[in-house]
Amino acid sequence: MESPSLAASRVDFYGFLDRMRRPAAAGLFRSIKSFLASLSLDAEEDGARVQAFYAAMEAAFREHPLWANATHQEIDHALEGLEKYVMTKLFDRTFAASPEDAAADAEVSERIGLLQRFVRPQHLDIPKVLHNEASWLLAVKELQKINSFKSPRDKLLCVMSCCQVINNLLLNVSMSNDRTPSGADEFLPILIYITIKANPPHLHSNLKFVQLFRRETKLVSEVEYYLTNLISAKMFIVNVDGRSLSMEENEFQMHMETAKLGTQICAASLSSPQGSATSTRGLQKQTDTQGSRFPFMDSETESLTAAELKQLHGLYRQVVTRYASLSKALRKLFIDEDQLLASVDDDSSTDVKMLARDGIG
Amino acid sequence: MGCSSSLPASNAGGIGNINNDNSATDSKNLKLKLVLLGDSGVGKSCIVLRFVRGQFDPTSKVTVGASFLSQVLALEDSTTVKFEIWDTAGQERYAALAPLYYRGAGAAIVVYDITSEESLNKAQYWVKELQKHGSQDMIMALVGNKADLHEKRTVSSQDAQEYADRNNMFFVETSAKTADNINQLFEEIAKRLPRPTPPS
Repeated sequence: MESPSLAASRVDFYGFLDRMRRPAAAGLFRSIKSFLASLSLDAEEDGARVQAFYAAMEAAFREHPLWANATHQEIDHALEGLEKYVMTKLFDRTFAASPEDAAADAEVSERIGLLQRFVRPQHLDIPKVLHNEASWLLAVKELQKINSFKSPRDKLLCVMSCCQVINNLLLNVSMSNDRTPSGADEFLPILIYITIKANPPHLHSNLKFVQLFRRETKLVSEVEYYLTNLISAKMFIVNVDGRSLSMEENEFQMHMETAKLGTQICAASLSSPQGSATSTRGLQKQTDTQGSRFPFMDSETESLTAAELKQLHGLYRQVVTRYASLSKALRKLFIDEDQLLASVDDDSSTDVKMLARDGIG
Repeated sequence: MGCSSSLPASNAGGIGNINNDNSATDSKNLKLKLVLLGDSGVGKSCIVLRFVRGQFDPTSKVTVGASFLSQVLALEDSTTVKFEIWDTAGQERYAALAPLYYRGAGAAIVVYDITSEESLNKAQYWVKELQKHGSQDMIMALVGNKADLHEKRTVSSQDAQEYADRNNMFFVETSAKTADNINQLFEEIAKRLPRPTPPS
C-alpha cells in the first residue's frame, strides 16, 4: 500500500502548492515565508518552533476562506503539504547541519561498515526458518530510500515500508509453517540485521530529523512504535560488543580489527596509484595521510635517536601484528594473496613482501 | 511456541497507515500505551494475539505484525479503552533497549512462564527496572503464562502472588492456549486506569 500513498502524497502536494498560489492565500504564504526566514540554526530549538508553527497554521487553515467547509481530511492534506514545503525549504539548514551530527553519521556508518563484514543472522538470534534473502534485500532497499527524500513524512514512509516487508515475511512464515508469530522477539533482530545490511546514509541525522520535524500529532501509535524500533536498532549498533553478539570480547575485537584492515585494503586499492618516488618532499606533502601513517620513511638510519628507534620498533610490532591478522582475514575471504599484492601499488607491496620474506607470513 | 497458531487481528490498521488519525482522549474513550516485557519464549505475543483475536476478520487483506497491536475494549460503565500494545524483544542482548519502549507507557505486563523459574527471575529484573525508570503511576501486572502446563509447574502461584503484592502489582495466571484469564487481565488493567476528570 506504500506506493499509492506516496503517489497520493505527491498529488496532495501539488494541490497544496496550487492553492498557495491563489491570491486569497497571499497572507498565508507571507506567514510561511517570514517563518522560514526567522529560523535560527539550532536543531532542537528549531524542532519546537516548527512544531508550534504547524499548530498555528492548522488553526489558520481552519479559519481561512480557502478551506471553508473543508473536511478534516482536506485540512490534513493541506498540513501534509505544509510540512513538506516547509521542511524541503529548511532541509539544508536543518538536516545533518551541525558538525556533531555529521560526526555521529560518519561514526555510525563506519561502525556498520565493520559489522557488515562479520555479523551473521545467528549472532542476533534470527532463527533459520526466517532466513529469506529476497525479503531481506527488499527490506534493505526500502530502508536505504530514507535518504532520498527531504520531507519527514516521506522518510518515515521508508521506515514503515521496511518494517512492512519484515512483518510480511514473519506472517508468511507463520502461516506456511503453522507457527505462532513471536512478535518483537523475532521482529527486532531482523530489523537490526537489515539496518546493518543497508547501512542507510546519515542514519543518525535521518532519525533525528524525523523525530524533530514530523508533525507531532502524526508521530503516534504504530508509526511511533516502528520508528522506536529503528532508533533502538541504531542504539544496539552503536553499543554493540562481544556479549551482545554471543561471542567473547576478544573475539569481537579481533573481528573488528580484521574488518578495519579489510576496509583499509579496499580503500588502498581504490586510491589512485602513486609514483615510486615517495622520498621527495613535495610528494610527501600531497600524500599526507600516507606520510603520517608511515613515519620515518624518509629518515636516514644513522640520524635516528634512541627514542625514535624505540618508536620505530613499536611500529614494526604493529605492522607485524596487523600483517598476521591480515593474512588470516585473507584466508577467510578466500582471496589469493599474490593477486591482492599485485593490485596494490608497487611501493607498499614491496614493503609487505619484504616483511613476508623476513619470515612473518 | 506456547499457544496455538493464530493470526494477527486486522483492526490494528495496516502498517503504513501513516495518516491514521489519533483522536483525542476524552473521559469516555481512553487510550493506553501498554508495554510487554518478559523473557523470550514465555508467550508474550501469544497473550496479545489471544486478546485481539476476537476481532479477527478473515476477509481482510491487511497484514500486520504481531509486535504492535491495538484493540479496543468496551467496559461495563460504557467507557472504552483503546490498548496500544508495544511488544519488546525478550532476549538478554536486547535488554538495554527496553527503556526506549516503556517510556511514556501507562501500563506494563511483565510475563513469565510458570514452568520456568529462570523466567520469573527475568520478570523480577524487569519489575525492578520499571520501578527505577518507569513512570511513577504506571499500572503493572505480573502474569504467569502457560497455566495449562500445570503438571510441569515449577513456580508456585503463592510465591508469585506474594511477590506481586510486595511490589504493588496485580497478579494473574493465564493460558494463551486455552484463553484462560486473558480478557480478565486486560479488563483489570482497564479498570485500574485513572479516569480523567470530566469537564464541569
